[in-house]
Amino acid sequence: MDQIIRYFFDFPLMAAYWPDILRGFLITIQMSILTVVIGIPLGLLIAIVRLYGIRPLNILIIFYIDFFRSIPQLVLIVLAYFALPYFGLVLEPITATVMALAIVLSAFSEEIFWAGISSVAKGQWEAGRSTGLNFTQTLAYIVLPQVVRMSIPPLTNRAIGISKGTTLGSVVAVPELLNVTSSIQSNVANPTALTVGALLFLVLFLPFVRFTRWLERVYAHPR
Amino acid sequence: MTVSERGRSTLEDSVVIRGLGKTFGSVEVLRNVNLDVKKGEAVVIVGSSGSGKSTCLRCINRLEEPTEGHIFVGGHEVTGKGVDLNALRRRIGMVFQSINLYPHKTALGNVTLALRKVAGLSKAEANEKGRRHLELVGLGQKADSYPAQLSGGQQQRVGIARAMALEPDVILFDEPTSALDPELVGEVLNVMVRTKELGMTMVVVTHEMQFAREVADRVVFMDHGVVLAEGTPEEILVAPEHPRIREFLTRTKS
Repeated sequence: MDQIIRYFFDFPLMAAYWPDILRGFLITIQMSILTVVIGIPLGLLIAIVRLYGIRPLNILIIFYIDFFRSIPQLVLIVLAYFALPYFGLVLEPITATVMALAIVLSAFSEEIFWAGISSVAKGQWEAGRSTGLNFTQTLAYIVLPQVVRMSIPPLTNRAIGISKGTTLGSVVAVPELLNVTSSIQSNVANPTALTVGALLFLVLFLPFVRFTRWLERVYAHPR
Repeated sequence: MTVSERGRSTLEDSVVIRGLGKTFGSVEVLRNVNLDVKKGEAVVIVGSSGSGKSTCLRCINRLEEPTEGHIFVGGHEVTGKGVDLNALRRRIGMVFQSINLYPHKTALGNVTLALRKVAGLSKAEANEKGRRHLELVGLGQKADSYPAQLSGGQQQRVGIARAMALEPDVILFDEPTSALDPELVGEVLNVMVRTKELGMTMVVVTHEMQFAREVADRVVFMDHGVVLAEGTPEEILVAPEHPRIREFLTRTKS
């Protein structure tokens, strides 16, 4: 027991590192939020474009979705950082990581939104169209509100899963939370730093989970 | 507001169908259907399932695309390329078998959506008009209820209010009571009678023979995609000449 406390909960040992940890924590928060804020709306946008049924575009979209859902995020981050400069696009490590993760999230959330759109009964479209609403209005006022409600739980899962991929930013030297805490661990030869990192991840994601549960409740229409 | 109050000739035909044909792939579901519905008239289409009556109704607002023929509503051609379908549909109300209320909107929200977005009314105007139409179907008290909080009959009455609020030239009823529990059918039929009394032009596809007998100005009998007979409820439903109709009536009574 003593050993466990000495190895994993030796908080005084961390004293000198708090500023570094905090900086890493803020970077993780920043990257997670950016990934979600870019990835999910992008996914929705792609799902909407797909709905208009323009064939060549849809072939492209399906390729995009399948490709980015299959490829490991790590590879994508490495490519974004090391390969894009050859095409004249030099990205900051943080930008490269967020871009890679947001694209992956967009591919997954497109599929979630698409499943939602497909599950809205045909009669809902017909009811809207029969009153003179055009396609886009029917989509915006009748179909999407229902889709967004039912998509919140699966989107939450995906968003959390992919946001945790921010830790992969360490491969391109992003000083995010896990990167910082694991270097501290090596420096002081004590894994307490990782405990701190884990606790901070909990601090970051628990409110997020609670928030989406709250969203689900607020958005649920009485049944 | 009744149709005649809008200052159109009551002699004018509201719906005119000429030579309507519809095929799904190689299956011919409608063949040379002709139908005239005068303003303020209630025409009931009956026939066994698969006779094409719902498809015929759905061609009128082009939820189904006719393969052949011409349809006019309120003097405007619905069929043909380049028509402003959304503007026309605003003039053609529809009540669905599956009701199709918007589950995320209140009863009032269901009625006012098109008033706001299609008719361009302000929120206050739309709400006022929406409430008036909910009163009309006896649901003034339920304006703020969501569809899931209403019975099937109440939901369908909201559906009728939604169609009526736009003050269309005609309302199409596609088996409006078929999905309802038997004890809820009456309230919906009562509202439909009320709708007729207000002067609304109606085309109704239904299996409610009593409603057809009592309310219809004219009954159309469809069979295998064609209009087999057309006449007063008396002629078609009480003393039909055609053996196929007699057979149909015997089966629906049993």
